[in-house]
Amino acid sequence: MTPLLAADPAAAFGQFLLIGLVSGLLYALIALGYTMVYGIVELINFAHGDLFMLGCLLSLEVCLLVGARTQAEAGTAAGVAAVALMLVAAPVFCAALNIAVDRAVYRPLRTAPKLAPLVSAIGVSFVFMGVGLFWKGATDVTFPDLLGPPIPPDAVNAAPPVPANLLEGTGLRFTFKDLMVVLVTIPTMAALTVFVRYTTLGKAMRATAQNPTAAQLMGINVDRVIAATFAIGGALAGVGSVVYSLYFNTVNYQMGFQNGVYAFTAAVLGGIGNIPGAVLGGIVIGVVKTLGGAYIGSEWSEALIFAILVVILIFRPNGLLGARTREKV
Amino acid sequence: MPPLLAVEKLEAGYGPINVLHGISLTVEPGEIVAMIGANGAGKTTTLMCLSGVVKARGGRVVFDGRDLTAEKVPAHQVVRLGLAQSPEGRKIFPRLTVLENLQMGAFTRTDADGVAADVEKAFTMFPILRERQHQAGGLLSGGQQQMLAIARALMSRPKLLLLDEPSLGLAPQIVVQIFDVIRELNRQGMSVLLVEQNARMALKVAHRGYVLETGRVTFSDRAAALLDDPRIRAAYLGE
Repeated sequence: MTPLLAADPAAAFGQFLLIGLVSGLLYALIALGYTMVYGIVELINFAHGDLFMLGCLLSLEVCLLVGARTQAEAGTAAGVAAVALMLVAAPVFCAALNIAVDRAVYRPLRTAPKLAPLVSAIGVSFVFMGVGLFWKGATDVTFPDLLGPPIPPDAVNAAPPVPANLLEGTGLRFTFKDLMVVLVTIPTMAALTVFVRYTTLGKAMRATAQNPTAAQLMGINVDRVIAATFAIGGALAGVGSVVYSLYFNTVNYQMGFQNGVYAFTAAVLGGIGNIPGAVLGGIVIGVVKTLGGAYIGSEWSEALIFAILVVILIFRPNGLLGARTREKV
Repeated sequence: MPPLLAVEKLEAGYGPINVLHGISLTVEPGEIVAMIGANGAGKTTTLMCLSGVVKARGGRVVFDGRDLTAEKVPAHQVVRLGLAQSPEGRKIFPRLTVLENLQMGAFTRTDADGVAADVEKAFTMFPILRERQHQAGGLLSGGQQQMLAIARALMSRPKLLLLDEPSLGLAPQIVVQIFDVIRELNRQGMSVLLVEQNARMALKVAHRGYVLETGRVTFSDRAAALLDDPRIRAAYLGE
């Protein structure tokens, strides 16, 4: 944690806001996977957080395979290769796994009562956690700080260098890692928005979400569109897992649960099924969590998030940007 | 010439309930065929079965020489064979624009130029759709949504158009307008299978008609003959 800038309350507030925004972008990326799948099959995919966790563990595996084991490899060929490789491997892995789960678990239950796939999703969540536990054990594992400042070879036992501040002189602290989160998440979300708005498959996804029967009558293969939705949601979780791991530098088999709950809350807050809503919800959660933690106490930040969720849902039951549930027909 | 559509002893239903108990009908190329009957007679189920959305439990559907039931043609392939539907309740995509709704109708096509030309044709047929092309489909009035549903179905360039209750919930002068469009489409060569509760309107526009009662065809004849039949007049034309 950076030292608190208590001397200047305004700067401190700005700093917390900035931290909140950056972490909110991360929640948003995961929330998109919940919201897209819900939008199209009305399933709360409770396994989504744990899919994210497996993406984190895979990213760690990539580091180990490439030989980027510690912060010492930051900036070296191995370090750069590891980051590049995990940015490909984790999204592909998570997308493929999500498609496979849809095919094997959710698709056979497509016409079953909604509770059946929901409970199955909880089951898949436990299976994923079991896999994570078996894969990397029960304790926290350090993820190499490959985007941190490189450690000079002669300073092995010295304290690690402090990352450079990209906003030096403004009173705010914004490191290269913060920038990385922004540079990965925002273009990813922009690409998703363009894809859903303008491509044929994107329009077919929206059409299927709005009326699956009519979509079939248009010649849309609904099963394929649903598989594509799981693929995209999974890939976003994969991208999120890389960014998260490189940002927080700790992974474990239980991390999917808490982050999944935040991201799911973000999706509901923004209006589940609504893509801009998920991004907005993620940012709100990130900011509330950080500000609440700073000014009220971090032990209250979760209670605060859910209190806000309850209040918003009382006044806007469909979330901040959610569509009315009944359309004119 | 073989019929464009031949349905033989079609059976279908939902869960434990059978709705269709052996429906047989044909549509010849260039014909408008009306299917009339009370609520729950199985008209919509028949159309959904033809489109592959509801699975047939027995009987055959032969369309344009292809046995859809034996080949187990999935719903999303039926459109490609030339069978399009404007469904009951219109089922417009409410948050897609009018233009995007039309583009979805052409989902199976890859000829972008041809699609653009057909969008233009749809706008010529229904000028109000051109005016409102960038508005969400859900914001259109009922009559405009019906026009959009028909235009959307035509975007796949079908050989046979299935129309389910195009008059449902519309003001009388809009209904007249919709039926004029059906007549005009037919004049241009489109074959139409029309499901209607408005039996008089349907039989006036159609060449032949079928009367459905609880999943069975009880009468079938030339439309003009059905209009004159005292039993039909009493049961369906309110006389």
